[in-house]
Amino acid sequence: MSRPTDLVQGTLDLLILKTLALEPMHGWAIAQRIQQLSNEVLQVQQGSLYPALHRLEQQAWIRAEWGESDNNRRAKYYSLTRAGRRQLEHETDSWERLSGAISAIVRA
Amino acid sequence: MRWLDILRMRLRSLFQRDSVERELDEELRFHLDLQVQQNIAAGMQPAEAGSAALRQFGHPTQRQEECRDARRTRMIEDFFEDLRYALRGLRRDRFLAFAATATLAISIGANTTVFSMADSILIRPLPYPGADRVDWISERSGPVQEDIATAQDYYRIREQNRIFEEVAAFLPSTANRTGVAQPEQLDVASVSASFFRAMASEPLMGRYLAREEEGTKAPPVAVLSYAFWRNRLGSDPHILGKAIALDRRPYAVVGVMPQGFDFPRGAQIWMPLQMDEASERPIRANTMFRIVEIVARRRQRVTAQQADTEMQRLTFAIRADYPKVFASRGFRSDLSIAATPLQQHLTGQLRPALMMLSGAVGLVLLIACVNLANLLLARAGSRQRELAVRLALGSGRGRVIRQVLTESLVLALPCGLAGIAIAWIAVRALNAFKPSVLIAYPAIAMDPRVLVFTAALTFATAILFGMAPALSAARISIQEVLKAAGQTHSMGRSAARVRKLLVVAELGVSLVLLIGAGLLARSFLALAHTEIGFSTDHLLTFRTSQVGSTSFEGRARFYRNVLDEVKQIPLARSAALVSYMPFQDTFDRSGRVQVVGHEPIPFLQRPRADNTLVSAEFFQTLKVPLRSGRVFDARDSDQSAAAVVVNEAFASQILPGEDPLGRSIVFGPDRDRNTPWTIIGVVGNIRDGALGSPIRPEMYRCICQGLPFFGGWFVIRTAGDPRAAIRAVEARVRNFDRDQSIFDVKTMDERRDEALAPQRFQLLLIGIFAGIAILLATAGVYGVMSYLVARRTREIGIRVAMGARPADVLAMVMGESALLVVAAIISGLGGAWALTRYVRSMLFGVTELDASTFVLAPVALAMVVMVACLGPARRAVRVDPMTALREE
Repeated sequence: MSRPTDLVQGTLDLLILKTLALEPMHGWAIAQRIQQLSNEVLQVQQGSLYPALHRLEQQAWIRAEWGESDNNRRAKYYSLTRAGRRQLEHETDSWERLSGAISAIVRA
Repeated sequence: MRWLDILRMRLRSLFQRDSVERELDEELRFHLDLQVQQNIAAGMQPAEAGSAALRQFGHPTQRQEECRDARRTRMIEDFFEDLRYALRGLRRDRFLAFAATATLAISIGANTTVFSMADSILIRPLPYPGADRVDWISERSGPVQEDIATAQDYYRIREQNRIFEEVAAFLPSTANRTGVAQPEQLDVASVSASFFRAMASEPLMGRYLAREEEGTKAPPVAVLSYAFWRNRLGSDPHILGKAIALDRRPYAVVGVMPQGFDFPRGAQIWMPLQMDEASERPIRANTMFRIVEIVARRRQRVTAQQADTEMQRLTFAIRADYPKVFASRGFRSDLSIAATPLQQHLTGQLRPALMMLSGAVGLVLLIACVNLANLLLARAGSRQRELAVRLALGSGRGRVIRQVLTESLVLALPCGLAGIAIAWIAVRALNAFKPSVLIAYPAIAMDPRVLVFTAALTFATAILFGMAPALSAARISIQEVLKAAGQTHSMGRSAARVRKLLVVAELGVSLVLLIGAGLLARSFLALAHTEIGFSTDHLLTFRTSQVGSTSFEGRARFYRNVLDEVKQIPLARSAALVSYMPFQDTFDRSGRVQVVGHEPIPFLQRPRADNTLVSAEFFQTLKVPLRSGRVFDARDSDQSAAAVVVNEAFASQILPGEDPLGRSIVFGPDRDRNTPWTIIGVVGNIRDGALGSPIRPEMYRCICQGLPFFGGWFVIRTAGDPRAAIRAVEARVRNFDRDQSIFDVKTMDERRDEALAPQRFQLLLIGIFAGIAILLATAGVYGVMSYLVARRTREIGIRVAMGARPADVLAMVMGESALLVVAAIISGLGGAWALTRYVRSMLFGVTELDASTFVLAPVALAMVVMVACLGPARRAVRVDPMTALREE
C-alpha cells in the first residue's frame, strides 16, 4: 500500500463540510470518516484538522455543540449551518470544475 | 444571519476567553484520548500508545496556538496584552512618560491655537459671496504714503476701469441715535448705491439702496445691521418702512442685512452717500476734495496680474488729470492706485505678528519632536536587550514591531488628546477674554486641519523613534546583543552621537526663540518707556459730536459750550479740546510750511509739519512743558494776530539755529493771500502718533482765534480718579442737550496701555513659546547627560579607582555638556542671525542683531543647561568604584 496522499491545499475544508453534511460529529470522527470514505487514500493531518474546524466555525459555516459521545464523555459535535450548506455546494461546484479541467488535461 | 453568528463568535472569543480556552483544551484532550485508545486497541503498550498519539497529533500547545489564530481576534488580544505591558513599562519610566506627554500635549495645543488664530484671521475667507474677488482700492500720494482716495478718483475708476463689475465708495462715520431714552453714538457708513452689489450680499429682509437714493437729493433711508436690528429693535419683523431717528432726522428703514455682514467693521447702519456728482466730479483748484474709501468687485476670472496692469493704466490715466489744474503745485502728481484683496487689507496689521508667532510656534513643535525622539531613543537603549531576548524565545519579528508600535501609541494617544484639550481651552479663552489686539477680528475657530497636521506630525515622531529599537532589533543578530550581556546600554556610540546631535539641535532652536523673545522684550521696554512728553495720569478723555451738525460757527459754538459745561464739574481741574488724540493712528494731518523771510521753496519741497487745533487750556491741561515764549491765553482771539505754538522738533528741523519766537510761517497750499502765522511759543515734543513713530514737527493753533473745528476730543485733568468724573461729564453734556451722548470715554493711561497692547500680546506669546522651548531643551539635556553618565559608570569607576578626584570627574561631565552647549550656541546664533531680520518691522529701539541680546541669551541658555547637568554630574561624582565595577 502506498503512503496516504497529503491533502491538496484548501480541499480539507471541502472534505470537512461534505463529511458533516451527513450528520453532526466530533473532530476525531471526522478524521476517521474521511479516511474511511476515501478508502484509506486520504489521511487527514491530525494537526491541521482542529485549526480548520475552528476556522470554519469562525466563518459560521459549521456550528459546535457539546454532546455525549459513545463512551459517555463530553465531546464537541460539529454540524453544518445553512450558510455552510451553501458553501458546500459552492465548493463542490468549483472542485468539480477544477478536477474536471485537470483530468481533461491529464487524459489528453 | 451569518454575520450575526460571526459577530457572536468573535465577541465570545474576546470576552469569554477563559471558557473558550477551556473548551479548546477539552476538545484536544478528547481527541488524544481516543487516539490513545485506538493505539492500545491496535496492540501498543499504554505508555507507547500515549507518545505515539502525541507524535501523530503534534505539539498540543502549537495546535492550540493555531486554533487561536483561527479565531481571527488574535490582533486584538495581542493588542491588549501589549497595552498592559506598555502601561506597566511606562509606570516604571514615569519621567519619560510625563516629559513625553507634556511635550506632545503642549506642542499640539500651542500649534493648533496659533495656526487656528492665523487661519481665522488671515486665511479664512470673509463671509461674503466671492469675497476673494473684492478688492480694496487704495490711492497713495505724498511722502507719507497715506491711503487716501478722493471722490474725484472714485468716479474716474468707476468709469474707466475694464476689470471691475462694481465699484463702490463708502465713508465710515458716526451718528447719534436720538429720540430714545438712552441716546447713543452709532457707527454708520455712508455708501454708494453700488456698495452692497460690490459686496454681493443680499439683505436678510427688505432691499438695499437703489441707484436713485444716491446723491445729495437722496431720501433719508437706512439699511440696518443684523446686530442692531436684533439688539436695539428687538428683531422687529415689521421694521421695514418704519423710521429711526439719527441726529434728529427720521430715516426710513428699507432693509436689514444678514448676520455676519460686517463691513466696514462695526457698522450698525448703512445710509446713502450724499455725494453730488455734478459738483464733486470735476477736479478744481478751489473745491474741497472729499475723501472716500473704495471697494470693487473684480469680474470673474480676472487674474491678479491683469488687475495689477489695469491699476497701473488707471494710475497713469487719472494722475494725468491733476497737473492740468495744479500745474505749479504738483498736487497728486505722485498718485498711485493699487488694488489689494479686501481680506489682506483688513488683516494687514496683524499679518507680520501672526506670521512671526506661527514661525515661533513651529520652532516649538520642532523642538518638541526632537525632544520626543530623544526620550524615545533613551528608552530604546535599554530596550534593545529585552527585545533580543524576546526574539530568542521565539517571538516573531512582526510581533515585536507590533508590540513597540503599541507602546508608542500608548505614549502618543493621551498626549494627542491632552493637546486637543489644550488647544480647545486656549481658543475658547482667547475668544472669551479677547485681547484688545484681536477685538477687531472675527472669532477664532479651531482649525481641524491644523489639529490633524500637528497631531499627525507628533504621532509620526513618536512612532518613528519609538520603532527605532524594534527596527534595529529586527536587523541585529540576537547573539551579538546577548553576548554583550554585561553592557546594559548596548546601543553604543552611534546612538549616543545621534542623541547628542538631537540635543544640540534642540538647544540651538531654543536659542533662536530666546533671542527672538529677547529682542521683542527689549523693544517692548523701549516702547513702554518712550518719552511721551506729557503726564498721562489723572486725564479723562472723551468725544461727543453735535447732533445734527450744522455750520462751522454752530459747531464751534457747540464745542465751546460743552467745554464750558465740563469745566464746571467739581472734579475737573482744567479741561481742553484737541483735534487729534495722542496714541491714535489716523490720517495724515500734515501740511507744507514756508517760513516768511526765508528763500521761497517750491511747494513740493517744503518741509511738512503736523497741524493740530487746540483750545487755549490744552498745554496746561496735559502739562506739556513750555520751552520758550508763551502759550495761548486770553490775548488770543479772532481779533488778534494769527498766533501759532510749535514743538521743539519744529524749531530744530524747520528753523535750525534761529530763534523761532516772532518768526512767521505760511501754511498749506499757496493762495493769493496766505495768512502768516506768528510763532509765539515753543513747547516740548509730544509723542502723539503710534508709540513707535518718530517725532515730527508740529504746530498748534488755537480755536480761540475762530478757526473752524471739525471735531475732536475733550481732555479733563481731574482731581483724583478720572473715571469718577465720567458720570458728571455725562450729566453735564446731557444737560446741555438731552439727545447728546458721549463716547470713546477712556482715561489717558488706558489709551497708553492700549497703544502697547499689540506688542504686549506678541511678547507674551513669544515669551511663553521661548519658555516652553527652554524647558523642553533642558529636559532633553538632562536626559542625555543622565544617559551618558549612566553609560560611563564603569569607566568612571575605573578612573576613580585609578585615583581620579571628584573634581576630575565633575570636569569630565561638565566638559562634555559644555561641548554640547558651545555647539548649540554656535548653531543657534547662526540661526538667529539668519532669522531675526524677519522680525525687524516689529522691533523698536533695538536692531535685529542687538549685541546685548545676542550675548545675554546664550549666557542664559548656558546657565540653564549647566544647572540641568548638575544632577547627572553629582551622580557621576558619587560613583563608588567598587559598586560600579561589581555591577557588570
